[in-house]
Amino acid sequence: MARLLLHGVGSLLPRLSASHHLYTVTLLPHTLHRHFTYAATLLAERKYTEKHEWVAVEDNIGTIGITNYAQESLGDIVYAQLPEVDAEYEQMEECGALESVKAASELYSPVSGKVTAVNTAVEDQPSLINQSCYDEGWLFKLELTVPAEIDELMDEDAYKKFLKESEQ
Amino acid sequence: MASSIVYVQKLGRMRYLPTWEYQKIIAERVQKNVKCGKDPQHTLLLVEHQPVYTTGIREYEYSAEVETRLKATGADFHRTNRGGLITFHGPGQLIAYPIVHLKSFTSGIKWYVCALEQTIMHTLESLGVVGAHRSPHTGVWVGENKLCAIGIQGRHVTTHGLALNCNVDLQWYDHIVPCGLVDKGTTSISKELSRDVTVDEVEPYFLKSFSEIFQCQLIMIDKKIDEG
Repeated sequence: MARLLLHGVGSLLPRLSASHHLYTVTLLPHTLHRHFTYAATLLAERKYTEKHEWVAVEDNIGTIGITNYAQESLGDIVYAQLPEVDAEYEQMEECGALESVKAASELYSPVSGKVTAVNTAVEDQPSLINQSCYDEGWLFKLELTVPAEIDELMDEDAYKKFLKESEQ
Repeated sequence: MASSIVYVQKLGRMRYLPTWEYQKIIAERVQKNVKCGKDPQHTLLLVEHQPVYTTGIREYEYSAEVETRLKATGADFHRTNRGGLITFHGPGQLIAYPIVHLKSFTSGIKWYVCALEQTIMHTLESLGVVGAHRSPHTGVWVGENKLCAIGIQGRHVTTHGLALNCNVDLQWYDHIVPCGLVDKGTTSISKELSRDVTVDEVEPYFLKSFSEIFQCQLIMIDKKIDEG
C-alpha cells in the first residue's frame, strides 16, 4: 500500500529527486519500529521517449526501462537481450531487444552514454518487465555523456499527452 | 484504422541472405518515409526460399556443432534477429515478409501477430483446410502439427514474417525441434487436403485475406532484386 502511494506521489512531486539514498519510512514508531525501505529511483523524475522508453537520472547515471504502454503492447516477454556493460551508445541507437509472442522488439537508448550495469534479474526472469516495468523490471543503467539530452525528453505529463494523441 | 496501401513484391525463389538484406533496405525506406510525413510505402514481400535453417535472437541455444550438422543436409544456416526459435524454410513454402509501419495499422506487436494468424486462418478456410487453430505457442496449427510459423522483428517497422507450408518436403523438419517445441509435429496444406497444393495456388487466397484483415489496398509492383 505504502509502496503504491509512493509511486503516485512521485508523479505529483516531479522535482523531488534530491537523493539516491534509500528512503526509510517508519510506521508505528511507538510499537514495533517496522521499517520499509524504497529505492529512491522511485522518486527520481522519469523522462520518456516517443519509442516508449523511460529514463530516470541520478548523479549522471540514467536508469532505463520500457513504459507500461510498451510492456502491454508487447505482451508476455520471454527473453531480454540487454546491452553489455561498458558498451557505448548514441542517443536512440539500438542497444538490445525484448522477445514476446514470437516477435523481437528493438530497444533504443534514450540518451547517449556508457553502460554501467544491466539488470540480471530480468535476464533470468523476463516477466519482471511485465510485472514491474518502472521498478524491478528496469533494464540497464548508463553514465550520460550528453546530459543535456535529458531536457529534450518528455516529462510524465507530456508523455501522457503523447499517448493520448497517438491513439487518435 | 484508415485504409492503407501495401505494395506487394514477388521475389520468386531466392536464397535467404539477399532477401534479408533487402528487407532491411525496405524497412529503412519505410522508416524514412514515416519520418518525412510521406506515405510509408508499406511493402509485402513474397518469396520462396532455397532450403535454409534459421534461428531467432536466442541463437545461443544452437551450437556450432548443430550448425555444422544442419549445413551437412545441404541447407543454408543463419542466425537472425527475429523472435522465435529454430525453423526451416524451403521450396513449397509461401514466405511472406510484411515490412509495415505498425502504428499505421495498430497499437502493437501483439495485435500484429494475431492479425497474421487470422490472415492464415482465413486463407486456410478458403482452401478447405479443416480444424486449423491458433495456439498459445503462436502460429497456426492443425491438431498438434504446425502449418504456419511466425517470427517477427521490430515494434515500429516490422521485418521477417511468416512461413506457410504448402507442399514443402516435411522431412527437412526431422533434423530440428521446430520452434523449440518437443512433442509437436509439422504439416502442410497438401498433407491436410491429400493433394498437391502449390504456393501459386495458395497465394491469391493469402493476398485476399491479408487485404481484408489489414484493411488495406494491395498494389502489385514488378521489380526483381539481384541474387547476392
